[in-house]
Amino acid sequence: MWWLKNVYAVDPAGFSGRRDILIRGGKIEANAEGLSPEEVAERAGREPVETLNGEGKYLFPGLIDAHTHLREPGQEAKEDIASGAAAAVKGGFTSVVTMANTEPPVDSRGLVEFVRAQGVRAGLARVYPLGTVTKGMRGQELVEMLDLKEGGAVGFSDDGHNIQNSEVMRLALEYAKLTGLPIVSHSEDENLARGGAMHRGKAAARLGLKGIPSSAETIMVARDLMLAAETGGKLHLAHISCRESVQLIREAKERGLDVSAEVNPHHLLFTDRDVDLFNTSLKVNPPLRSEEDQEALLVGLLDGTLDMLATDHAPHVWEEKARPFSEAPFGIIGLETALAAVWQQLVVPGKLSPERLAEAWSLAPARRFGLPGGTLRPGSPADLVLFDPEWRERITPDNLASKAQNTPFLGQELRGFPTMVWVGGETVLRGRRLYPAGEGVRRE
Amino acid sequence: MRMFKDLLGLEGLSPDEIRHILQTAKPMKDVLLRPVKKLPTLRGKAVYTLFYEASTRTKTSFEMAAKVLGADAVNIGVSQSSVNKGESLLDTAKTLQAMQTDLIIIRHSSSGAAGFLARHLEAGVINAGDGQHEHPTQALLDIFTMREKLGDLNGKKVIIVGDVLHSRVARSNVWGLTKLGAEVVLVGPPTLLPPEMSALGVKLSYDLDRELPGADVVMALRLQLERQQAGLFPSLREYSRSYGLDRARLRATGKDTLILHPGPMNRGVEIASDLADGPQGMVEEQVTNGVAVRMAVIYLLMGGTTNVVA
Ligand SMILES: [Zn+2]
Repeated sequence: MWWLKNVYAVDPAGFSGRRDILIRGGKIEANAEGLSPEEVAERAGREPVETLNGEGKYLFPGLIDAHTHLREPGQEAKEDIASGAAAAVKGGFTSVVTMANTEPPVDSRGLVEFVRAQGVRAGLARVYPLGTVTKGMRGQELVEMLDLKEGGAVGFSDDGHNIQNSEVMRLALEYAKLTGLPIVSHSEDENLARGGAMHRGKAAARLGLKGIPSSAETIMVARDLMLAAETGGKLHLAHISCRESVQLIREAKERGLDVSAEVNPHHLLFTDRDVDLFNTSLKVNPPLRSEEDQEALLVGLLDGTLDMLATDHAPHVWEEKARPFSEAPFGIIGLETALAAVWQQLVVPGKLSPERLAEAWSLAPARRFGLPGGTLRPGSPADLVLFDPEWRERITPDNLASKAQNTPFLGQELRGFPTMVWVGGETVLRGRRLYPAGEGVRRE
Repeated sequence: MRMFKDLLGLEGLSPDEIRHILQTAKPMKDVLLRPVKKLPTLRGKAVYTLFYEASTRTKTSFEMAAKVLGADAVNIGVSQSSVNKGESLLDTAKTLQAMQTDLIIIRHSSSGAAGFLARHLEAGVINAGDGQHEHPTQALLDIFTMREKLGDLNGKKVIIVGDVLHSRVARSNVWGLTKLGAEVVLVGPPTLLPPEMSALGVKLSYDLDRELPGADVVMALRLQLERQQAGLFPSLREYSRSYGLDRARLRATGKDTLILHPGPMNRGVEIASDLADGPQGMVEEQVTNGVAVRMAVIYLLMGGTTNVVA
């Protein structure tokens, strides 16, 4: 049993404040305002008690990342589920939702079960696969959604591609109602985006790079919202990047649509003005937009229009990114740096509260994708993160658990990291070192 | 004066640095006009040309510049096929590094490609055009030509007309000309001159005829004919009527305006032959000056002092 004493507990489903937390039998045993040694001993029974002084530390429900690309099966040179799950835990994520655009794409129950099994073998973060929406991600025929759900899929997405055919998207939103799971939309009009390398704006004009206009996103956001309204389907909009999209989603929510949306940390932390011709880790899709967009995204996150934070962790082999900007693939890794960077740049200056951060990165994705977690209530699974706001670490290729290095923070020192992480009550990170539970540990 | 390893663009240069290159090009041009065009300056050295886009004119100009300086010009054959075989620019950079090359002249279809190479090589790199980003030696030769005819460019009006959006020539010229005090106006149809081009900090206009009065220089950009197939403008006919240069239209400047074109020209589209071949047309001057300017750049990057001509 663990006794976390005097920790600043942030429970997005309850209250925040100084608490004593007990972890026992894989669950949160108690969450109280100061426990006596006698009470603790009584709760522990015969179990030995490990005591931890939580002074100056935060305790969050394990973070849940709703958007990761762990590349397995098929692109294990970029990342695999074990390395991705390790990166997740190092960054404070006890659960990750994996995108289905692997090789082959996760469009069958067997592949869904494979991804889950690899997650269990890794024994770190919980791994929840999304299935594709369409067979082979070709944007034409729907997958066997019911079967994929039985295999463990928590939603459906052709992420990486947009479903250009509006009728297919409409059918997906209709049919997915049988499953109760969301359709996750990568909102991008391919004709408007084609050949673009960064946001269409002054920075792109100066650098001589082809731009991707905001309309490439907003047109598809508007379309998908209309289809969700028409069908009553359950829609989740991935990686919202521009202010017009935020406004469209806000209005849709006012009308009562079953829609949720996510924002990526990099869109909150960087703009197109940070892009140069050489730092290809800032080449992301959707692209880093303007400062006005960035402001609107933060407002949207604060007022709940954007329900959740999600990294869109997209690893690539170093050589793939070591190319001229327009030739490098899109993507940034985020699992190991996102919490630290958001903490430093948004929480410390007071722009984002620890409570909203925890809500947007645990409770909101848990609710939307039907996952356990997101709370510190007694009886909940003990997926927990002890966060030390003073812990400093330099980001180097050697200390990244991810196989990839496509992060703009490479070589920089970040401040604020998880120092303990529990998944289902098991310690998987202690003093920044990983403790994989290993194969055979069942986490359902 | 800063010492540079590379010439990647004009955006990062100071006015004095640009003037220094132009000054160095003057005696180079004198050499070119001699009957025996040969200097021993860089004997035993080699410059390498690496052209991922075909451009006989620019490549020949660089090769000639190197040869006049006494250096060997070695062409590294790259074709789209080697690119398709998966050899990346990084692989190429590693090979060039192993070959102990002194100076690489690269043209590439990706913005930033020259800078990319420069970051991975100890050798110097000259950008002979990277995507839609910069083409610094073209702008330097344009500016050299203008200064030869007009003297100081401070306050002179230069119109650049055509496909500004996709033009590295336009970008480099804007940086260079504005640093030397010229007033630059970019002109083209809205699809080739979108509002974000205001990032370059100069006036944008859709109306050529309104801008012409008082222009000291009009530079027509080469129109890539495939832009029409891509839907960026409806027809060559309509383009030419709105933005094509001819003698009658140019009377509106009220001056003996210089006409520049980076070549090769689409005669009858962006420029009429009577104008290109007439006394105001600078196209041939530009070719000669191109060699002189490239000599200056090669010379300066290979460690030359300002005392060029012995
Ligand atoms: Zn996506």
